[in-house]
Amino acid sequence: MLLTIIEKEIREIIGSSKFVLIFGSCAVLILLSFYVGAKNYKLNRIRYEAAQAENLRQFEGLTDWYSIQQHRIFLPPDPLATLVSGVSNDIGRTVEIEGRGEINPLGSRFSEDPIFAVFRFLDLEFVFGTILSLFAILMGYDAIAGEKERGTLRLSFANSVSRPVYILGKLIGSFIALAVPLLLAMAVGALLLPIMSVSLTGESWIRLISIGSIGLLYFGVFLTLSVFISSATERTSSAFLILLVVWISSALIIPRASVLIAGRTVDVPSVDEIAAKKNLYSRQLYGEDSEKMGSFVPENSEDFDAMIDEFNRFMGDLADERDRKMRELSERLNEERYNAQKRQEKLALNIARISPTTSFTLAATQLAGTSVEMKNRFKDEGEKYQRQYGDFIKEKTGSNPGGRMVVVRMSDEEGETPEAIDPTELPSFDFQQENLSASIDKSLPDAGVLVVFNLLFFAAAFAAFVRYDVR
Amino acid sequence: MLSLLIEKELKSIVMSPKFVATFAICSILILLSIYIGINEYKSATSQFEAANELTQQEISEQSTWYSLYSRAIRKPEPMQIFVSGLAYDIGRKTIVSQNRPINFVHSMYSDDPIFALFRIVDFSFIVSVVLTLFAILFTFDSISGEREKGTLKQIFSNPVPRAKYVLAKCIGSWLGLVVPILIPILIGIFLVIVMGIDLSGGDWSRLITLMGISLLLFSFFVVLGVLISASTRRSNMSFLVSLVAWILFVLIIPRAGILLAGQIMPVPGLAEVEGRTEAYSKDKWKAHYDKMEKIWIERSAMHEEEREPTDEELWSQLEEDDARRDSVENDIEDYRSRQIADLRRRQAMQRTLAFSLARISPVSAFQLAAMQLADTDVDMKDRYEDATKQYREDFINFIENKQEEEGVTSGMTISISSEGGIKIGRPSEGKTIDLSEMPEFVPPERSFASVFGSVATDFGLLSILTIVAFAGAFVRFVRYDVR
Repeated sequence: MLLTIIEKEIREIIGSSKFVLIFGSCAVLILLSFYVGAKNYKLNRIRYEAAQAENLRQFEGLTDWYSIQQHRIFLPPDPLATLVSGVSNDIGRTVEIEGRGEINPLGSRFSEDPIFAVFRFLDLEFVFGTILSLFAILMGYDAIAGEKERGTLRLSFANSVSRPVYILGKLIGSFIALAVPLLLAMAVGALLLPIMSVSLTGESWIRLISIGSIGLLYFGVFLTLSVFISSATERTSSAFLILLVVWISSALIIPRASVLIAGRTVDVPSVDEIAAKKNLYSRQLYGEDSEKMGSFVPENSEDFDAMIDEFNRFMGDLADERDRKMRELSERLNEERYNAQKRQEKLALNIARISPTTSFTLAATQLAGTSVEMKNRFKDEGEKYQRQYGDFIKEKTGSNPGGRMVVVRMSDEEGETPEAIDPTELPSFDFQQENLSASIDKSLPDAGVLVVFNLLFFAAAFAAFVRYDVR
Repeated sequence: MLSLLIEKELKSIVMSPKFVATFAICSILILLSIYIGINEYKSATSQFEAANELTQQEISEQSTWYSLYSRAIRKPEPMQIFVSGLAYDIGRKTIVSQNRPINFVHSMYSDDPIFALFRIVDFSFIVSVVLTLFAILFTFDSISGEREKGTLKQIFSNPVPRAKYVLAKCIGSWLGLVVPILIPILIGIFLVIVMGIDLSGGDWSRLITLMGISLLLFSFFVVLGVLISASTRRSNMSFLVSLVAWILFVLIIPRAGILLAGQIMPVPGLAEVEGRTEAYSKDKWKAHYDKMEKIWIERSAMHEEEREPTDEELWSQLEEDDARRDSVENDIEDYRSRQIADLRRRQAMQRTLAFSLARISPVSAFQLAAMQLADTDVDMKDRYEDATKQYREDFINFIENKQEEEGVTSGMTISISSEGGIKIGRPSEGKTIDLSEMPEFVPPERSFASVFGSVATDFGLLSILTIVAFAGAFVRFVRYDVR
């Protein structure tokens, strides 16, 4: 019996002109988002490589490692980040590595190319979060109320069909009828990636598949909700109106409004304040050191090279000490800000989680590595690289980078010209994503919330339909 | 006759249960968006003031002309309450100094990415997403629905001209929807005044124009609904067609247009341009030092062989060296500005293409016009960069004049000589510099007239589209089979 009902439901949906039209546009959008993602990724890749090449090119011909200046590292593009962009276009992507001190990623994509910020990107997260939820509502709003209006509900129950079986069949049937075509569209879209020669690692595939599953879970929330509302109302027009209001609030309003309002209630020290404190302290330290510098007298003023060495050691020690003190202060200030930001995040996001769209976005960005944490992650990775770079320079030159004076001596003797450095020897920056299991762990609570929503609406639909007046 | 038909249409809208629900939601959303806008504007303003104060404090603590720097900080516009546009995407501030290029960094979204995750909800968002949807919801069945109910047949059994009927439909639905929307808008504007936001005369003109163009967009969707309704036989078909049209206009075309333009006309990244400039600068300096090395060696050889140079000769040599260094600096600066100008030119071409493509959708036209009105459009970044460039020139001139007046005071001197070894000289302690005449950064401002010039195109476009849609509805309905 259940099977017959499921089959009837699937046939009815797939045969309807509504399905063809709506599914057609959704499929086009899904394919488009994969296509655009792949294209964007390739464009970003070209840009990234060009920037890296220019960075190395400026060191060509240098003859000593400590003359390296303006060494930059960049956030590498990631195919997943173009599919689920999250905050990846809003955070700074370029870091100048000085070898010491705090790093500061600057130049976000949207700030550099504001044109893309005008309407933002068409990515998978948008297609799922906004379009597919609307699609679910459109397909589900008349599931019960529509059959009643057409009189087919009465006809069905003229046979010996039990209500629980009927509603179960409805839910399962409509989910299969809608989810399978969507999965197909997604599979074709995902196939576009290797066809367009965008290669994903095995881990990225797992992430992508998890994002797809979370998407289906989210789709299920809106579908069960639609069936629930449909079996709680008498007329399709009111079912649709209610669902539309729910959709607007859930997909468009609640996430934005609650994050803005709740976020502002937590006081986070501004970047400017912190920068000013750091500047002040740094100048104070420099002032103290410049006194010491003024009283510097070389022990050995006979041998010029030894004198320069001593001087550099002296300056290097001072710089190291300043660096250490600065780091202490920075760490303290950054931690304060970080903790306040965490509190802000927790409050704002938890309130925003009233809407399943929030949970979906959080889980998807977590899996794609483009969540709010991305900024700190890039900064941490950058700092790790800076230490690596510092060690490299120390190994090459014998002293920490910065705080060293390079003395160029002229001579008219045609001595041997110093050998040029090989810039490719510089350690390369290798951005490490958070590992897969940690990402999955972090996305689980939100996936759980979506499951709970599904069960809740399922149960509600069930309860409402058992009491439904089918006449 | 016409007024009777309009009255009937008005009644059927206002009396319907869905009207109450949608009207309540629209009102809440409009008020909520304005409330959020005011809060965000206030927090942006206090951040702006704090940043200004901190900069003033930093400047006042500086003691040498050589290392003096200032900042240009972007000023929040009161109109961003209604149209946040790119206000939170574009960098807020840049350092202005002799040796650093202008680069606006620290956008609100990059400082606090949590707000970037879902972005903002503002009045222009509500208009372009929610109000357009509601306009369609109320009009999609205006013709086909009446046909299905059989009321259309009844009406035309009376001597009613079709032209008047369709005109009354459009006017009636327009009045029935626009007048109620005006109520929360007026309350919202009142809220702005009550919460102590200072709007200048220009801002008021901008605000009124914004409301005008919002209503124009709304009218387009009302008429579009009637057009689709008059082009279809069944109301569920007209609903689907309207919804697909809405998704295309509101969600797809704006984004797709921009992305397409990005593919057709790719623009190099800033990092690449900077890297190229650095490489060029390195090459130039290397060539310069190689040349200087030769010159110095020649000079010292000449002096050893002949005689010690006179002070005048030394002075002229120093001046020669300075001139050479200046020319290298200027050369690099020129190269950099050429690169940036080229980047900007390509960006401008990309923009023109992108916005032309996006303007296929009236919603993009509306949003672009709204951003222009609020001064939060894409060109804001260029305007600020231009203003800062001007300021930087004034600032550098000021420093150079002061240095000439007071003699050069550099930060720290390191002298190396074979007799005294290495000696580090410090700038005289506790010496302050007189900053009373330092130029201040003035944020760029556009007069309402110049803004209106760029908005007029979109205004015209929206009006034409509305008229075309109306004409279409008219033509379709005249031939409509009312049975």
